[in-house]
Amino acid sequence: MPVGDYRIKEIRKVADGIFRLAFAGNMEAEPGQFLQVAVGRTHDPLLRRPLSIHDCVDGEVVLLFHPAGRGTNLLAEKKPGDSLNVLGPLGKGFPLPAGQTAVLVAGGIGIAPLFYLAKVLKGAGKEIVFLAGARDTGSLYIPPELPALAADLRFTTDDGSAGRRGLVTEELPAILDRIKGEVYACGPLPMLREVARIARNSGVPCHVSLEARMACGVGACQGCTVAAVAGDWQKYKRVCVEGPVFGSGEVIL
Amino acid sequence: MNAVDLSVQIGRLKLKNPVMPASGCFGYGEEYAPYYDLSRLGAIVVKGTTADPCPGNPPVRLAETPAGLLNAIGLQNPGAVAAAAKINKLGALGIPVIVNVAGHSTEDYCRAVRILETESTASAYELNVSCPNVASGGMAFGTRPETTAALVKKVRALTDRTLIVKLSPNVTDIVAIARAAAEAGADALSLINTLLGMAIDIKTRRPVLANLTGGLSGPAVKPVALRMVWQVTSAVEVPVIGLGGISNADDAVEFMLAGATAVAIGTANFRNPYACPEVIDGIAGYLRHNGFASVTEIVGLAKKERPGGEHGAGKTDYCP
Ligand SMILES: Cc1cc2nc3c(=O)[nH]c(=O)nc-3n(C[C@H](O)[C@H](O)[C@H](O)COP(=O)(O)OP(=O)(O)OC[C@H]3O[C@@H](n4cnc5c(N)ncnc54)[C@H](O)[C@@H]3O)c2cc1C
Ligand SMILES: Cc1cc2nc3c(=O)[nH]c(=O)nc-3n(C[C@H](O)[C@H](O)[C@H](O)COP(=O)(O)O)c2cc1C
Ligand code: FES
Repeated sequence: MPVGDYRIKEIRKVADGIFRLAFAGNMEAEPGQFLQVAVGRTHDPLLRRPLSIHDCVDGEVVLLFHPAGRGTNLLAEKKPGDSLNVLGPLGKGFPLPAGQTAVLVAGGIGIAPLFYLAKVLKGAGKEIVFLAGARDTGSLYIPPELPALAADLRFTTDDGSAGRRGLVTEELPAILDRIKGEVYACGPLPMLREVARIARNSGVPCHVSLEARMACGVGACQGCTVAAVAGDWQKYKRVCVEGPVFGSGEVIL
Repeated sequence: MNAVDLSVQIGRLKLKNPVMPASGCFGYGEEYAPYYDLSRLGAIVVKGTTADPCPGNPPVRLAETPAGLLNAIGLQNPGAVAAAAKINKLGALGIPVIVNVAGHSTEDYCRAVRILETESTASAYELNVSCPNVASGGMAFGTRPETTAALVKKVRALTDRTLIVKLSPNVTDIVAIARAAAEAGADALSLINTLLGMAIDIKTRRPVLANLTGGLSGPAVKPVALRMVWQVTSAVEVPVIGLGGISNADDAVEFMLAGATAVAIGTANFRNPYACPEVIDGIAGYLRHNGFASVTEIVGLAKKERPGGEHGAGKTDYCP
């Protein structure tokens, strides 16, 4: 998990509000792990920004991000050839499913870590159902390799401009009735709550990837906590080291 | 390459160099151990430890501000007994281990120190007097000379280990409080703790931090911290550990020139996990480059009046 300067190979907008950034480098990363990315070299913005690993192949690491504020907007201005200072991979990734099937549920930019997970699961011979939701067709990004990875790929938009109209979670109960696969989710908190509820009703394990404001990213500052279900004094868990992936029963969403 | 002497003395502690991580920014060392050999540090300062386990504040606990960071962690820690086990493990590093001690009543502090005296091999205590004192309506111990002195006296009676008092900058006269702490028996002072601040999210129209207010740290606070280190070291004899916004060796040298005998590095670790060893190397480089044989030669050097200079050593007032 060292700190390194990497050269940006490619950066481009792949959908409304979604950038794909590839940099040269070799990393051993589990799906669900993240990087702490320095968006500039000066004191402001001060902190690194946590971003999930979207892909990690021989000699290349890929990020997928939504310019949400000052830091990620600065990142979107980077050019190929620029150097990028990165700390990581950090955190605990997604565990492999016990059974043969996994159901991945991505909301918006939540597709970032789930694409890499799909790749690794496919490599491990697992069967994948992939549900991707977005606001509309413009902001829906389906990585070109994804259709070949998922046996069943479905998408949903809020306005019906692509795929089925509605929420990404609406099909989940029927799917879980049929296949009882382990569930993996990343997306906005309300979506994660709904996915966790459905998985609980279906009696299948559910893993969620959480976001929190971070400073150190390595467990030293206690800044990134989420409320834990455990009853002792340790009311809070650190998203950067005990997560970002949690069993949905471990944390209070 | 000429060897320069980086060693300094803080109370009974002999530090092989003047650089240590700041409390709360380095856990119990475990998290940064994979990055470098922690025995390179002059000392290690562990997080705020209370007598009983403390769950800390609910999230959101962090907010980034211009060149700064607001935190409201709420002293999350496993309590003095469990902390002692972690502290004792650090003994293997062969460097002084300084335990930051916090509480909400005099008895809280005393209980924590009593436990650490018997259960831990800590080399020193750093009293965090920025905590609200329940007995005086939540006003922090460190905001008044009398309450600071009373607390320091009580703890002083419990230990022969080095006692450092960490001053709060959220006061009108830090010099008066520094004097009170030194007279009450502190072996050294450290300053500054975080400055009280706030951030509001204009989208949700709510304060960002669940605790509403938080402590500001990072480069934004550096000039304030430097000024306070200058004032305090001009008024007291005990050594001072300077901190607040130090990001690199140049910043650290500034604090030492202002009068700090040692420095601590907090927020900078978050951006750069190698901040502490880089500052150690950078200080050595500065000394070598400028022909100093020992780091103690630069302590307070900015206060020495030069022939023809106009620097008034005692003068820190300013009228905007
Ligand atoms: C483990 C993890 C993985 C993530 N992966 C991705 C990803 O792959 N793609 C992506 O687009 N986004 C991802 N995020 C969210 C991303 O970190 C934030 O959108 C980003 O930090 C916002 O920074 P900013 O400067 O643009 O926004 P600002 O609002 O200006 O940021 C101000 C501060 O708040 C923090 N902050 C604001 N929003 C968030 C948030 N949602 N989560 C965490 N910190 C936040 C920032 O880091 C910064 O410290 C991830 C977050 C976490 C914790
Ligand atoms: C996340 C965080 C946690 C902190 N926890 C403590 C603490 O437990 N006890 C304490 O005395 N100071 C604590 N501090 C204050 C720092 O030790 C230091 O005084 C302050 O951050 C200024 O230094 P810096 O600008 O280098 O960070 C904390 C600071 C931060 C950022
Ligand atoms: S970000 Fe510092 S503990 Fe998680």
